[in-house]
Amino acid sequence: MIYTSQSLEQLVEEFSQLPGIGRKTALRLALYVLKMPREEVVRFAESLVRVKDNVRYCSVCWNITENDPCIICSSPKRNAGVICVVEEPTDVMAIEKTNEFRGRYHVMGGALSPLDGIGPEDLKVKELLVRIEPDTEEIILALNPTVEGETTTLYLSRLLKPMGIKITRIARGVPIGSNLEFSDEATLTRALEGRIAV
Amino acid sequence: MKLLSLTLRQFRNHVSSGFAFGAASNVLLGKNGQGKTNVLEAVSYLCLTKSFYAGADATAVHCGTSMFEVEGDFVSDVNVRHRVRIVYDEQMRQKHFFINASEITKLSEVIGLFPIVVLSPENNSITFGSPSERRKFADLVMAQSSKAYVEDMMEYKRVLRQRNKILSDARGNDCSAVLAPWTEMLIRHGSAIIHRRNTFLNEFVTYVEKAYDAVAHNEERPSLRYVPQIDVSGAMDRDAIAAALHLLADRKQADERRTGSTLFGPQRDDIAFSIDGLPLREYASQGQHKTYLIALKIAEFWYLKERCAELPIILFDDVFSELDETRSHQLLEMLAPMGQTFITTTSERIFQGVRQWDDEHRKFYIRSGTVVLQEDAA
Ligand SMILES: Nc1ncnc2c1ncn2[C@@H]1O[C@H](COP(=O)(O)OP(=O)(O)OP(=O)(O)O)[C@@H](O)[C@H]1O
Ligand SMILES: [Mg+2]
Ligand SMILES: [Zn+2]
Repeated sequence: MIYTSQSLEQLVEEFSQLPGIGRKTALRLALYVLKMPREEVVRFAESLVRVKDNVRYCSVCWNITENDPCIICSSPKRNAGVICVVEEPTDVMAIEKTNEFRGRYHVMGGALSPLDGIGPEDLKVKELLVRIEPDTEEIILALNPTVEGETTTLYLSRLLKPMGIKITRIARGVPIGSNLEFSDEATLTRALEGRIAV
Repeated sequence: MKLLSLTLRQFRNHVSSGFAFGAASNVLLGKNGQGKTNVLEAVSYLCLTKSFYAGADATAVHCGTSMFEVEGDFVSDVNVRHRVRIVYDEQMRQKHFFINASEITKLSEVIGLFPIVVLSPENNSITFGSPSERRKFADLVMAQSSKAYVEDMMEYKRVLRQRNKILSDARGNDCSAVLAPWTEMLIRHGSAIIHRRNTFLNEFVTYVEKAYDAVAHNEERPSLRYVPQIDVSGAMDRDAIAAALHLLADRKQADERRTGSTLFGPQRDDIAFSIDGLPLREYASQGQHKTYLIALKIAEFWYLKERCAELPIILFDDVFSELDETRSHQLLEMLAPMGQTFITTTSERIFQGVRQWDDEHRKFYIRSGTVVLQEDAA
């Protein structure tokens, strides 16, 4: 596509770099920005820069934070002996919303996926191992129920088992929001077959 | 399940064709290259979300246009209606599938909801061709009867691709540490698939025997045997299969490193067909191949009939052109009580004297991608 404005073209290009945004949507977003009041655009642009400048990763759990260590890692109310391992910061947010978990987290930064060029050294594996201390009671593996998440669970459990800590994993639940009874049936079949073993 | 009506828009050589089908049999008549098979392919798009023969979705888009649409009204065996629609957009390379008003985002969920049994000239490769053709055959029967198998297969293929990526990236170097969890995942999922295939084929063989007997009318005994890389004789459980795969994985290690790809697992399975103990591929005549293939398809129908919530729809493409009149009539007779059938043929001859055309049994003449009233109409 050829635009009559170089800046517009540039913005479309930037938007289409974002996950899930194709060129058509990028153009729609760019045209919308063009219609926004200037001050709103400035606020938007500043938020982008601020998030980059102020937000960093907690050097203990690798969750996103503005203070290092993060509020969860520095809270005396959280049980340091229980570590819940997740893939992404969004998983921490989801579990925190339940208000059930009182331990701490470890964010791997993804899951093993050779097709995406992600091997063990690209995840926060070493960082997890150094957190394990004599008073560590339990490690909960709460990675996604995808092939990649399962493989990472397998990898981590093999790695952690010799250390003699209790390792658990969250049950593979019924997916939410599927529009047919389909997934439930498959999930159920597999649950019955007891196919999850660590 | 029955298909009551069908609309094709910009699909293959059909710019806009509409059909109101009979509940029992539907015969699509016309000269070569007029668009009969294309109608069956459209039905396959509604039932399987894809063509029954290999081919990119883009090739089904009517030349010179950028999208196709197929819509059909199904009625279930308990009389519930479903409007199914598929739209393919060539530019976006996107397929949208709708059941009634809601879009189904995970296409694999559709498999098995509208079961079909297809027999087309491409299927000759099931008995003549490579092991992958036989796996494809078994996989589709299993997928249509078990949603868990569909998921297992998708996950297995994903693990396989991931593992192959490591092996090919390693270019012969040692990658065993990175490979280890993927090997274990491959064995975990692979053993599930081998176990399911073994169970399935052990059951399916009796259906094939019965079907062959009904199709061939002779004393020949067909048989069918699962041939994975490991020995599964005796009802092996999943743990035993996994253990055997582990041993195999160790043995293949060096070769895998050299070739840069996975050399063990269900993607290398085969199914051996034979008649009276003689392997089909080496010994059978053309006629025996055909009989065996038809028997496989009849067996598929009977099997799905027992396991799916719905009676499968039958699509027979060009099957009768290769059979003599007696065999054709026998086959038509067999099909009659089975379910709704769709048959393409260039000649009406085999139906003459044996079929009355009425509300349930309809014929359609296809010429240049349109439905015409008479074959010889202007
Ligand atoms: N994407 C497309 N756009 C337009 N025409 C197409 C397209 N794909 C295939 N065709 C045409 O469709 C015709 C083939 O249709 P089809 O395979 O349904 O024929 P048929 O009636 O089954 O013939 P036969 O009796 O030889 O099997 C050919 O003429 C081919 O050129
Ligand atoms: Mg044809
Ligand atoms: Zn932290």
